[in-house]
Amino acid sequence: MIQAINIKKVYTVGKVEIAALKGISLEIKEGEFVSITGSSGSGKSTLMHILGCLDRPTSGKLFLDDKEVGKLKGNALAEIRNKKIGFVFQQFNLLSRSTAFRNVELPLVYAGVNRRERAERARIALEKVEMAHRLYHRPSELSGGEGQRIAIARALVTKPSLILADEPTGNLDSKTGEGILELFQKLHLQGHTLIVITHERYVSEYAERIIHLKDGLIEQDERRN
Amino acid sequence: MKFTETFRSALDGLNANRTRAFLSMLGIIIGIAAVIIIISVTQGSQRSISERIEALGTNLINVSPGIRGGFAGMRARALADLFTLEDGEEILKKASAVKRVVPVINRRLLLQYKDKNAEIVVNGITPDYQEVLNFWVEEGRFIDYRDLKSFRTVIVLGEGVANDLFGDEDPLGQSIVVNGPLSRYKFRVIGVMQSKGRVMFFNFDDQAFIPISTAQKRLFHTKYVQNFSIQAESKETTDEAIEEIDAILYQKFQDDTKYSISSQEQLLSTMSSVMQTFAIMLVGIAGISLLVGGIGIMNIMLVSVTERTREIGIRMAVGAKRVDILLQFLWESVLLCLIGGAVGVSLGWIGSKIIAFIGSRVLPDMGALPTVISPEAILLALGFATAVGLFFGIYPANKASKLDPVEALRYG
Repeated sequence: MIQAINIKKVYTVGKVEIAALKGISLEIKEGEFVSITGSSGSGKSTLMHILGCLDRPTSGKLFLDDKEVGKLKGNALAEIRNKKIGFVFQQFNLLSRSTAFRNVELPLVYAGVNRRERAERARIALEKVEMAHRLYHRPSELSGGEGQRIAIARALVTKPSLILADEPTGNLDSKTGEGILELFQKLHLQGHTLIVITHERYVSEYAERIIHLKDGLIEQDERRN
Repeated sequence: MKFTETFRSALDGLNANRTRAFLSMLGIIIGIAAVIIIISVTQGSQRSISERIEALGTNLINVSPGIRGGFAGMRARALADLFTLEDGEEILKKASAVKRVVPVINRRLLLQYKDKNAEIVVNGITPDYQEVLNFWVEEGRFIDYRDLKSFRTVIVLGEGVANDLFGDEDPLGQSIVVNGPLSRYKFRVIGVMQSKGRVMFFNFDDQAFIPISTAQKRLFHTKYVQNFSIQAESKETTDEAIEEIDAILYQKFQDDTKYSISSQEQLLSTMSSVMQTFAIMLVGIAGISLLVGGIGIMNIMLVSVTERTREIGIRMAVGAKRVDILLQFLWESVLLCLIGGAVGVSLGWIGSKIIAFIGSRVLPDMGALPTVISPEAILLALGFATAVGLFFGIYPANKASKLDPVEALRYG
């Protein structure tokens, strides 16, 4: 479902070229729960941005659902992000002035879904993360764990092919973090494809496959049970 | 994304910082209010001027001496001693489109009654004056042909003069003293005119009327008249009448700069074009304040874009296209300007009502300051506000839409 072939990413800062990814090839199948680990500077964030269609590789090929997406630009990428990818961020990245419900329905707004269907799908997504009782609260009125659940609901609402989480527990205490990871596991069992980027060992242990990056290359690709 | 959703996002954006939204609107509010007030005052006075001039009769033609000089420090002056009563009779006889001709001779003279006096324009006229100027006597009677024939020292006062000299007393039958350039005469008041008010800077109620024969013989010792007020047969024949009069006068003077002929309608269009120029100038000045307001809005929108970089990143991450972001911010600035414009229109409305009220209290004999608010003025103001919002919103909105999603998410 995701196939990356020799992905490279070079940033140009002034006159200096920095190679963040030096040739990554990997394949992730539908329904897999993968964790991408690595120390800071290993290129894991860059890889996430490319897998999430927020950024484009300098060279190499990227297929998402058998569609080449590595060369797409602007609006086409926005559409891929909207339809196929759900993001979960370390800082939750909720719109602070909007209610939980409004945050969750936002991707559907951009997808052009009508109001009634949005409400229905947002409600289902919020039920999945056990947050149906917090519909009209604003992010500031929610705890960290609740905020992240809302963010996960937002990622789920478009029924994306892939959920990408970048340090989803980084801003949470360990107990709340575990709750979130258990939720991921539950989603995994329901058949969602998940990629969690983390530098914490205990987080990666929830995944069935751990890809370890170092200096822009895959150092280890380990399957677990 | 749908139009209503972009609109809603924009509204959310404004709602989040109401004080700032209001402050950035102020420039637009003030500018639009100024435009509305200026337009309402000029349209109001334009309308009242044309109403009053039309009340004088649109088939009125004025023949006056030409104006000479006016260069190298010399004051321009009207030619004097040009027309005679016979010229008027000739016009009436030869010009078929002319219905009535009234010769007029007028000067500013001092009128006295007991201890009161008034310096006003005294007109020597003929009885047709009432019909030609559509200006009628209210009490007593007007000058008639017997007065003319016998050089009677009778006078009809304008309503304002009658008030000034007599107050509550009944002026009819009283004697007043008219101080001519060479002599003083006692005149008997035989009538008081209806009130006609002021047209531009001329107050119709501050004048008096005497037989032209008396004026020529007794007061001014002249055989000439100053000008003619001429009534055409109808409104439609006014132009024809002007041509006929011109032909007659040209034949006599052989020089078309010696006299000038103007219809009431020409005067009307001249005045309204003067008013229009004035209004355009003032609206232009108010427009500058709109421009400044617009720059303020652009400034705030730029700050807002920077402040909300992360929000833009989030929206992009969940699938917002560039055009969605562009429209959201563009809507915000247009909304700012439209709301500001609406508030400005209401304030301008209130302001023009206040001006009309103060005008009627402070300047009753200046003809007050009528104000008119037309739907066109409101549409113009709101349209202009929208244009300002679009023009000054496009740069910040474009900037927002061009943000890189990765950078935007990392911001702050």
